[in-house]
Amino acid sequence: MNSTLTVAGDEAINEQSPRLSLRAIRKSFGSVQALRGVDLDVFSGECLGIVGDNAAGKSTLTKIMSGTYLPDSGSLAIDGEPVQFSGPADARRRRIEMVYQDLSLCNHIDVVGNLFLGRELTRGPFLDRARMRNEARQMLDALDIRIPRLTVKVEQLSGGQRQAIAIARAASFKPDLLIMDEPTSALAVAEVEAVLSLINRVKASGVSVILITHRLQDLFRVCDRIAVMYEGTKVAERKIDQTNLQDLVGLIVGEAIPDTGMADS
Amino acid sequence: MNVYTERDSGSIVADFLSEHAQVLSIAFFFALCVVFFSYTTDTFLTSRNLLNVIRQAAPILVVAVAMTLVIITGGIDLSVGSMVALVNAVAAIALSSGVPWQLVIVGMLIFGGAIGLLQGWFVAYQGIPAFIVTLAGLSILRGIALYLTQGYSIPVGKIPGFLFIGRGTLFGMPFPAIVAIIIALIGYVVIATTRYGRQVIAVGSNAEAARRVGMPSRWTISSVYMVTGVASAIAGLLIAARLGSGSSNAAVGFELQVIAAVVLGGTSLMGGRGSMIGTLLGALTIAVIGNGLILMHISPFFTQIVTGTIILLAIWLNTRIFTARFRVPWARKPEHS
Repeated sequence: MNSTLTVAGDEAINEQSPRLSLRAIRKSFGSVQALRGVDLDVFSGECLGIVGDNAAGKSTLTKIMSGTYLPDSGSLAIDGEPVQFSGPADARRRRIEMVYQDLSLCNHIDVVGNLFLGRELTRGPFLDRARMRNEARQMLDALDIRIPRLTVKVEQLSGGQRQAIAIARAASFKPDLLIMDEPTSALAVAEVEAVLSLINRVKASGVSVILITHRLQDLFRVCDRIAVMYEGTKVAERKIDQTNLQDLVGLIVGEAIPDTGMADS
Repeated sequence: MNVYTERDSGSIVADFLSEHAQVLSIAFFFALCVVFFSYTTDTFLTSRNLLNVIRQAAPILVVAVAMTLVIITGGIDLSVGSMVALVNAVAAIALSSGVPWQLVIVGMLIFGGAIGLLQGWFVAYQGIPAFIVTLAGLSILRGIALYLTQGYSIPVGKIPGFLFIGRGTLFGMPFPAIVAIIIALIGYVVIATTRYGRQVIAVGSNAEAARRVGMPSRWTISSVYMVTGVASAIAGLLIAARLGSGSSNAAVGFELQVIAAVVLGGTSLMGGRGSMIGTLLGALTIAVIGNGLILMHISPFFTQIVTGTIILLAIWLNTRIFTARFRVPWARKPEHS
């Protein structure tokens, strides 16, 4: 039951050692087995989509990757070297950034302030507003994000703009791996387009991206590979050109899964 | 929700107005009060009376500046009135027993800060709601003051240096007013331009986000209660020096006046949003109303009713503006669990 089930079409994608590699990750909360032995590799410069129904273990998995949770058992390795995160700050030091679903923005602070939240540029005890504004502009320009005025409070921006700011902030830490939890789930159509092309630009700059989403159509726009989670296990991996919407839906709801994979729950 | 609209960059004026709507409205209300009392009384608009208003407003303003920081973090400090009384009483006891007044001042500031920090520790590190911690503080500190003085008023004695703090004038300004204005100025600079001020706002706006980006969120929360403790000590000293005595019955209801001043000034009790200029105007408005009604020979008992009603009215108006302004962004915000 622990073993990850593989489905035809699943294969190693890359020859190089993965940027982040998870092996036999298990995590329980009380009697609930959130993860029942997950193997996952993320290679540099690729976008890996993680899909699955609610409670499939997607969020738990990403929180283990970002250092928020420690796994009960199993191992993580960065560039082939085993690591154990002591917390989110440790993961950040190892160049893993996470954009949370709630974005972690301060609504009452302006765009510049949010981009520099927690690492304000200062002269003595005072904020160096001019320098932060200039660098914020560069940060946003680098990702081609258009925010007309950087001194507006974040609460006055649209959902897509807020998402873009959260992504730009994460990207400014120069991560090797950027994990995004449902970046498009609450956005309007045009905003989704903007965020997806932003993800592609981040990816093009050499950053590995993990994208969690319920919007399957988004996966085909940005992802190179898709991992499907089911009841705390990874049930399938697909290259993007070897799958389609129908195939994914089947994998997610479990129709394509042999009975043995479900007996456990 | 289906329409994506880029914000026009031409809305700077609208943004400014909505951003400062609450400060503008309290400024307008303050002006209204001043004009009203100028016409209804002969004495209100005399420099002597105005200086008196500022002198009386000074302790409220000093603590209101600190309270603004607390409320911006989303907390509240109900213990400030009791803190003022305790400092008031302890300072008088120390002075009357011959401790040098300079030492008393320094000692009281440290004392206030330490008690504030202790309360802050319970709030930030032990996760007890600020309302509960400081409500307990309100009871305990007042109790200690009563116990120490046995309910009596303790004369400070003839110490010119100390009494100057409450009664003296400098450049034609009452000394307490100068202290209050300097503190208000420092408060403004801290909240608007320093990293610490940014941390206070961030913690109040989104504590989880502040924590995730590595801000010292717990320390920031504790520290604002230390600031109210120090500010309460200053207010206690100003009052002791003005009255020339220390009493455990000083500053009853003080915390409510302070909180009213802060909220009147547009600082949100939900945290994240606050204005020092608003607090300044709020404190002055409350002082002007109190003073004006006395000059109109309205019963002092009635004054409380009027003050309360006006505060409720003003805050109601502010809250209306608040919701009108935020309906639009909230409708677009991607909030979900």
